[in-house]
Amino acid sequence: MSYAYLFKYIIIGDTGVGKSCLLLQFTDKRFQPVHDLTIGVEFGARMITIDNKQIKLQIWDTAGQEAFRSITRSYYRGAAGALLVYDITRRDTFNHLTTWLEDARQHSNSNMVIMLIAKTAANVEDAFINTAKEIYEKIQEGVFDINNEANGIKIGPQSSPTNPNLPTDGRNKNSSSGCC
Amino acid sequence: MFRNRNWFNRNLWKPKNVHSLDHLKYLYTILSKNQNVSDGNRGLLVETLRSIAEILIWGDQNDSSVFDFFLEKNMLSFFLKILKQKCGSYVCVQLLQTLNILFENIRNETSLYYLLSNNHVNSIIVHKFDFSDEEVMAYYISFLKTLSLKLNCHTIHFFYNEHTNDFPLYTEAIKFFNHSESMVRIAVRTLTLNVYKVDDKSMLQFIRNKTAAPYFSNLVWFIGNHVLEIDACICKDVNQLSGQTRLSDLIAEHLDHLHYLNDILCLHIEDLNVVLIEHLLKKLLIPMYIMSLIPRNNLIFSEQNEKQSLISTALSLFLLSQVFLIIKERQLVHTLANILLKGESDFIFETEQNLRITNNILINKNEELENELMVYTENSEFLENPLAVFLRKKNSINFDKNESVCHSFATSTYSINITDEEKEQRLAQDTQIQTGSFLQAIFENLHCRENDYSVLFALCLLHAISSNSGIGKSLLDTFIFSSGSEYKTKYSVQLIENLIQITSISCQAGCRVRLLTLELTIALIKKLVLIDGKSILLDEHYAAIIGVKEESTSLLRSFYKNEDIFLDMFEDEYYDMKKRSLNIEWLMMDCNLLLQPTNSPMTGVEFSKRLPCGEVERVRRAIRVFLLIRELVLSLSHETESQLPLTDRNTCISIGTSLDLNNSDLITCTVLSKDGNKTRRFLAMDSNQLILVEPHSRLLGWGVTKLAGFLQDIEVTGDKEESKCLHVIIHHTNTGSAYSAKFLFDDHIRCMAAKQKLIKGRAKARKKKMMQIAKLLDIPVSNQPSSSSLLPYNLFTNRHQPISSLLYSSCKQSQPSKIISNFVYSLKPQYTLNIKIVTDNVSETYKNTPSTSCESSSRVIDNSLNTEEIPLVNLSYKIEENIPPKSDKDETTTLNDGDFLHKINNINVSENSVEDDITDKVWELSSGNFPGGSVVITLERRSGSRWKEEWTIQYCAKFQVVRTSFVFFIELQKQRVVIKFFVKSGVKTAEIIPKLRAVFQDDCQSSTRIYE
Repeated sequence: MSYAYLFKYIIIGDTGVGKSCLLLQFTDKRFQPVHDLTIGVEFGARMITIDNKQIKLQIWDTAGQEAFRSITRSYYRGAAGALLVYDITRRDTFNHLTTWLEDARQHSNSNMVIMLIAKTAANVEDAFINTAKEIYEKIQEGVFDINNEANGIKIGPQSSPTNPNLPTDGRNKNSSSGCC
Repeated sequence: MFRNRNWFNRNLWKPKNVHSLDHLKYLYTILSKNQNVSDGNRGLLVETLRSIAEILIWGDQNDSSVFDFFLEKNMLSFFLKILKQKCGSYVCVQLLQTLNILFENIRNETSLYYLLSNNHVNSIIVHKFDFSDEEVMAYYISFLKTLSLKLNCHTIHFFYNEHTNDFPLYTEAIKFFNHSESMVRIAVRTLTLNVYKVDDKSMLQFIRNKTAAPYFSNLVWFIGNHVLEIDACICKDVNQLSGQTRLSDLIAEHLDHLHYLNDILCLHIEDLNVVLIEHLLKKLLIPMYIMSLIPRNNLIFSEQNEKQSLISTALSLFLLSQVFLIIKERQLVHTLANILLKGESDFIFETEQNLRITNNILINKNEELENELMVYTENSEFLENPLAVFLRKKNSINFDKNESVCHSFATSTYSINITDEEKEQRLAQDTQIQTGSFLQAIFENLHCRENDYSVLFALCLLHAISSNSGIGKSLLDTFIFSSGSEYKTKYSVQLIENLIQITSISCQAGCRVRLLTLELTIALIKKLVLIDGKSILLDEHYAAIIGVKEESTSLLRSFYKNEDIFLDMFEDEYYDMKKRSLNIEWLMMDCNLLLQPTNSPMTGVEFSKRLPCGEVERVRRAIRVFLLIRELVLSLSHETESQLPLTDRNTCISIGTSLDLNNSDLITCTVLSKDGNKTRRFLAMDSNQLILVEPHSRLLGWGVTKLAGFLQDIEVTGDKEESKCLHVIIHHTNTGSAYSAKFLFDDHIRCMAAKQKLIKGRAKARKKKMMQIAKLLDIPVSNQPSSSSLLPYNLFTNRHQPISSLLYSSCKQSQPSKIISNFVYSLKPQYTLNIKIVTDNVSETYKNTPSTSCESSSRVIDNSLNTEEIPLVNLSYKIEENIPPKSDKDETTTLNDGDFLHKINNINVSENSVEDDITDKVWELSSGNFPGGSVVITLERRSGSRWKEEWTIQYCAKFQVVRTSFVFFIELQKQRVVIKFFVKSGVKTAEIIPKLRAVFQDDCQSSTRIYE
C-alpha cells in the first residue's frame, strides 16, 4: 500500500481502560462494537487521508510491558503520537494521567503529539485523526525531521516528500483516491 | 438477506445472527470449500477469517459450544493450509490479525490449551512469511509478542519442546533483534524478556546453552558497534543540526540497550546473567570502555583491532557513568567497580567453575544454531546483520577453552585467541597497568585543562559509582570514602582536593567550568563528607572551601552594581536554584553534553550546560556560583540559611490578612481594573509591599488585605489625560500573577503623594535588598560613598589607621592598669589572627574585625595605657613569595607607619594576582619592643568557631630587657597552616625556645619547627 507518510502511534493509559479495544475500533471498521463482545488487539494499522495525502497510521499497544523499563522507554521514543486513554467512569485512571504525562515527557522526543482520550467518548475516530493532523502540521512546519525514522514517522516507500502522491495500487481497498 | 449474497454457493444459508454457533458452522463450510486460494475467493476468505476471529471471541465470552466446534473441526489446520499456498499479503495479514485477536482475547484457559496443543501455532511461527512486506512483518511480530504475553509455566511447554530441543517462538523472534524498524526491535526485546521471565528450568537451560552465547554476544557486539559510531559522531564536527540529531538518536538507542540489559539482569536468572555479564565485561566494558581510560601511549596493542576498539576517554567516562546510573545488578556493577577502583587483577567470578563447563557445552551446541542462523542470513535482507559477522568471528566469541578463565584481569581481557608471542607482549602490558591506574585516570580527568569537558563525565562517573546500590560498601569505603592509612579520613583526600580545586577554578573570572559541573562537584563533595547531615571534613579542607567561598564572593563583588537588573537576577537565580533538584540520570541523557562545551545560546543548550555568553550571563553565572558555594558551606557547617531569600515570602502580608492600620498612612483610591470593575480601596505600604485594603467589618482602624504586591516590582506611571490617576503594574503579587490596574485618587495632590510614595517605596525596597546583598558579599555599605564600595577587603579596616598607630594613639590616653592589647589580624580572608599582648600594669583592648565593615576601625578603645609606661609596639610587616624558611631572619625589615599603610595596599594587589594560590606567602609580624607580660596568640577561622588554635607565651621581664624582637611566621602551605616563631636576639633565646616548644608540642594540628 502506498502512502505519503507513516505515523507510528502508541496507546498508553492504566490497565483496564480498554486501550486495545479502542485500537481495534479505530483500525478495523469491520468489527462492529456489540454490547456482549469486547475484542482488543495489540497492533493495528489504517490508512487515512489528510490534505489529500495518504497517511498510514500504525498503532502499537504497550500493554503488558510496563514491568520493563527498557520497553516503555523505547516505545515512547519510537512513536510520533501517543494516545493517552482514561476511563471516565474510573476516577483513578484520570488521576494517573499526570504520571503518564510525566513519563511521556521524560521518554519521548519533545515533538510527540499526545492526545487525551476519555474512553467512553464516542469520538475515537476524531481522536486518532486529529492526532494525525497535528503530526502532519508539524511536518509541514518542519518541526519533525521526517528523514529520521526514530521519530516514528516514515516516508512512504514509493514516494519522496516532494511528490508523495503516486497512484495507489489496486489491492488497497481502504484508500480513497488521494492523487492530485 | 442471505439470498442477496448467494454469489458463491446457493446451498449455503447464512444465519441472521452473526454471533452464533450456526454462523461459525457456515464459515466452516466456506473455508472447507475454498481451501485453495485464488484471486476469485481472496476477498471471501479474508472476510471469513475475520468473522471467525469475531465469533470465536464472542463464543469465548458467551457460548462455549462455539469454541468446541472450532477445535473439533480443527479449523486451525485450514489456516496453515492457506498459509502454505502463496496466498499474498492481503490474506496473510488477515490470518495474522485473526490469530492475534484469538490469542490476545481468549480468557478461557482450556480453550487456549486446546488451541496450542496441536503444534499448529509453532508451524505458523516458523512459516517463512514475506518479511519484506512492512504490514506482514508488523502483524507477525505482534503475533509473536502476543504469544509471549501468554507464556507461563504451563503454556511454555506448547512452545518449547524439551525432546526436540526446539523453541521456535524464541529463536525465530531473536532473528529480528536488529531489524530496521524500531517497533519490531522493541517487540523482540519484549518477547525475550517475557520468555526469560517464565520460571521453567529446562527452558532456561535451553536458552542458556543454545542461544545465550550467540544472542548476547551479538547484542554486545552491536552495542560496541554503536559506541564506535557515537565516537565517530563526536569526533566529527557535529555543529550541523543533522549531526546533532544523529548523535542524540545514537545516545538514546544506546541507553535503550543499557536499559534492556538491565531489565534482563533484573530478572535474576543466575545462569543467564553469568553469561551476559561475562560477555559484557570481556567484549565491551573492559576492552572498550575501561581501556580507553588509559592514555593511548601507555598501552601496547597486540592487535590492530584492539586499538580500533578504543574510544575517546571522555566518551568512555560518559558511557561508564551510564552503566552505573542504569544498572544496579550486584555482580556486574561490583565487578566493574572493582576493576575501576582497584585496577588490578583479582576479579574472579564466583561462578567461574560453572562457567567453564557451560562454555564447553556452548561451543558444541552452538554449531547447530549457527547453521540455522546461517541459513537465515543467506536468504533474507538481513545480510548486514552481524549474525553473519558473528559467525565469522565465531572463535573470538566463544571463551577460550584452553586457558583457565579469568585468572587475572589482563588475561581475562585478552584471553581471546592468544598466541605465545602475544602472551609475552601482554605480560609487558600487565606491568604497565598498575594498581589503581584506572582510578588515577579518572582523577586525572578531574583537572580542568582547556575546559571542563571530561571533568563533567569524570564527576558523573564518580557520583554514579558512589551512589550505586549494587556495589559493595567495603569497596567504596576503601577507595572513595577513605584514603588509606595515611590520613585516616573517611573520604578520599585526593578526590576531595581535586573537587575543591574545581570549585576554586569555578570562581575565577573567565574560567571554563560550566555551572552543571560545579553543581555536580558540590553534590559529590556533600556525598563524600556529609554523614547524617554532619560534616566529617578535615579542617584543612574545610578551610580551603571557606577560601573558595571568599573567592566566589570576590568574583560576584566585582560584578556588583547598583542596578535593578542585578537584584532581579540575583533573586531569580536564587529561586531557580531552590526549585531544581539535580537528577543526574536525567541530565546525562542530553547528548549535547558530548559536544565540546559551547557558549552560544543559539545552540539551544541550556545555560547550566554551557559557558556564559556576554556580560549579563557572566553576572548570572557569578551569582549562581556564589549561591551554590554558599549553600555548600552552610550545609558543611550545619548551619541554616539566615540571610536568604532576601524577602521571606512566607512572612509577607497575604490576601485576607487583617492589619492594624491605626496611625498608618492611608490613601483612599478607586481601583479600576482591566475588566472595568471599580472598587474602593485604601492604599498602604510596608517596607516590602504595596497593600490594598478594605475596612475591617468589626475592628475600627483595621483593614483586610485585598491585594499585596512587592514594591520592588511595581511600575507607576501618571496618566497624561487625567491628573488624579495612576497606572500601576505589579509584576509579582503574592498570588504569583502579575497585576495591572488604574488607581483613581480623590484629587491631584493625593495622586502625586501616592505616586511619590510608591516610587520612593520601590527605590527603598530595592535599596534595602541591595544592602542585604552587599552584606552577603562583605561589601561595606553604611556611610560609604558608592565609589569606594570595592575596597580591598582583607585588611581594609586598617586602611585608615594602621594597627601600630592605633595602638600607639590608644596608649597615649590610657590609664595605668593591666595592658591587654588585642589585635585581630586578617591573614587570608578566612583566617583571623589574634594577638593579645598582656602586660602587668596597663590594659587595653583593641578588637579589629577585618572584613565586616569600616565601623570597626573607628571603634572606641575601652581602656588606655599609661603614657609613661607605653612600650612602643613597632610592627613590621612584610609579604614575600616562596621564602625559604631559613633565610627569613635576614630579610625582616621594620617599617614606619606610612610605609605600613603603603605595604598593605600593595599586599592587596599582590594577593589578587596570585589569588588561586595561597601557598606562597609568608606573613611576618614583628614587634620591636615588648613590655613584660605574655602574648596570647589565637589563630581562628573567621566564620564560626569550628577551628581555633591558641597559644599563650609568657615573656616576663626578660623580654623587655633583652629587647628580643618576637617574630612569627604563618605560612599557608597546601592548606596547612604552619606557624614559625623566630626569636631574634641571642642572649635569652635559650629560655624562650623551650617554652614555645612546650606549647606547640601539645598541639597536634600544627607541625612546629623552631629555628634559631
